[in-house]
Amino acid sequence: MTTSEHSTRTSPRTGPAADGAAIRLSGLHKSFGSVRAVRGIDLTVAPGEVVAFLGPNGAGKSTTIDLLLGLTKPDSGTARLFGGVPDAAVSAGRVGAMLQSGALLPDLTVRELIRIFAALHRNPMPVGEAMLRAGIDDIAGQKTQNLSGGQAQRVRFALALVPDPDVVVLDEPTVAMDVEVRRQFWASMREFAAGGRTVLFATHYLQEADDYADRVVVIADGRIIADGTGASIKARVSGRTLSAVIPGASEQLLRAMDTVTDVEVVGGRYAVHCDDSDAVLRLLLARYPQIHDIEITQANLEQAFLQLTGSSSVDAPSTSAAKGA
Amino acid sequence: MTMTLNYAWMSALSTFRNAKFVIFTAALPVIMFLLFNGLYGDQTSSAGMSAGVYLMISMACYGAIGASLNAGARIALERQTGWNRQLRLTALSPQGYMIAKAVVSMLVALPALALVFLVGGVVGHVHLSVGSWLLTALVIWISIIPFAMLGLVIGFLGTPDSTQPISMLVYIGLSILGGLWVPLENFPAVMTTIAKVLPTYWVAENGRDAAAGVGVSATGVLVLVGWTILLGLVGMAAYRRSGRKA
Repeated sequence: MTTSEHSTRTSPRTGPAADGAAIRLSGLHKSFGSVRAVRGIDLTVAPGEVVAFLGPNGAGKSTTIDLLLGLTKPDSGTARLFGGVPDAAVSAGRVGAMLQSGALLPDLTVRELIRIFAALHRNPMPVGEAMLRAGIDDIAGQKTQNLSGGQAQRVRFALALVPDPDVVVLDEPTVAMDVEVRRQFWASMREFAAGGRTVLFATHYLQEADDYADRVVVIADGRIIADGTGASIKARVSGRTLSAVIPGASEQLLRAMDTVTDVEVVGGRYAVHCDDSDAVLRLLLARYPQIHDIEITQANLEQAFLQLTGSSSVDAPSTSAAKGA
Repeated sequence: MTMTLNYAWMSALSTFRNAKFVIFTAALPVIMFLLFNGLYGDQTSSAGMSAGVYLMISMACYGAIGASLNAGARIALERQTGWNRQLRLTALSPQGYMIAKAVVSMLVALPALALVFLVGGVVGHVHLSVGSWLLTALVIWISIIPFAMLGLVIGFLGTPDSTQPISMLVYIGLSILGGLWVPLENFPAVMTTIAKVLPTYWVAENGRDAAAGVGVSATGVLVLVGWTILLGLVGMAAYRRSGRKA
């Protein structure tokens, strides 16, 4: 399956790559037994983009990352990095990855671990530089088994930087980090990406995606359900809900109104989800003078995220979404 | 290849750091040597070799084999903790990985071997020429290659929980049946027949031949090569299987 072959060279920035895209996923499917983890993902990431993969736990983020790194083979579809198979990009040191909870080799100091890992790459970043960038030079002499969760995460970040890669893939990088460490982490990541490198990170924090990514790809139930800038995604989820008893209205008519995104009928009331509740209210009052029991609520971020990620999010991490707010 | 050997060397170094590993693979054989040597050291074995030399070689083999098997068991740990996934994101090829792990198994056997020999020479009053010491050590070291393979098999088939008991059982079982703990003369004859198809027996027998200055037996070489090929093939299959799961 070589679907990437027909792609056009839209971006010549990568030089010799046969495909202009840094990452190109086409029609990816992957099931584990009866669990359909990834159900048709198409995604193209241009070189230099910082992309957030946003979705609740179990949405298929990690599986998609495994597929694009070549750690798992897709049931169908293709994953291409710089126009080639993932293994080729890995072998050439063009990809660095911070895997979720990937353990560190025990009985080594942090510096030794980074050094071992660097020895396994053709043109690694100097060990000192990787440690400095990841902010772990102060724990260089500590044994890997004695690190806190946040420290271990930063060591994993250093491992992702060691190949001196063109693409960095980070799977839930800030899990186990406290607020301050998290801020430092994103500052280092930003600095690294500023050199024109491509970054793709998975997160279930809406705020994190919005703050640090140029582009947010929302994934739920193994599919991409939204793809745009953080602002556009937030706009989709930052609307208000106007609910009222509206005699004479119909769901269809309400849906046709400007800025209305969704209409639900709840116990004889209409719940009108819209971006501009002021405008919608004025219009409703003019059109339906009988309207009564009006309530306008702002969808909180958690609800919005749940709405965006749809029915798949029954077990969505409400705490993390709330934390993102 | 440089990459593979570099990795093997650093992995071996990290293994030496593990106190439990050093105690079980080097300290135990040394203690057992001192104990047995104190009891039987001044006797002469049936083959005319001093019991001191005999015991030293047996315990050196016992330690080296244990270290080699243990290094393999560490693979299971690395597989389960996800370190292997991280390794797959490097330029190290699957073949390179296999070779590196086999080299690690061989490297970590050296300290146990050297330590028992050192104690044998210094405390145990074993006297051999410099050439004999080196030759004996080299012969034993080369002879444990099948155990490096066996370590890989256990490491790729087992889980971290199961490898410890499995490798312990295999280790002690093969050591006793191969006559490393108690000379086979003290067992019924059928035990000797069994021992002669086991690699443990031939590792020690080759060591004794080297120390006595006679050539190693062709049967011994054949048995060891046979085990190496067999376990190597099983190890490769186990690796492919584990790779799919990782």
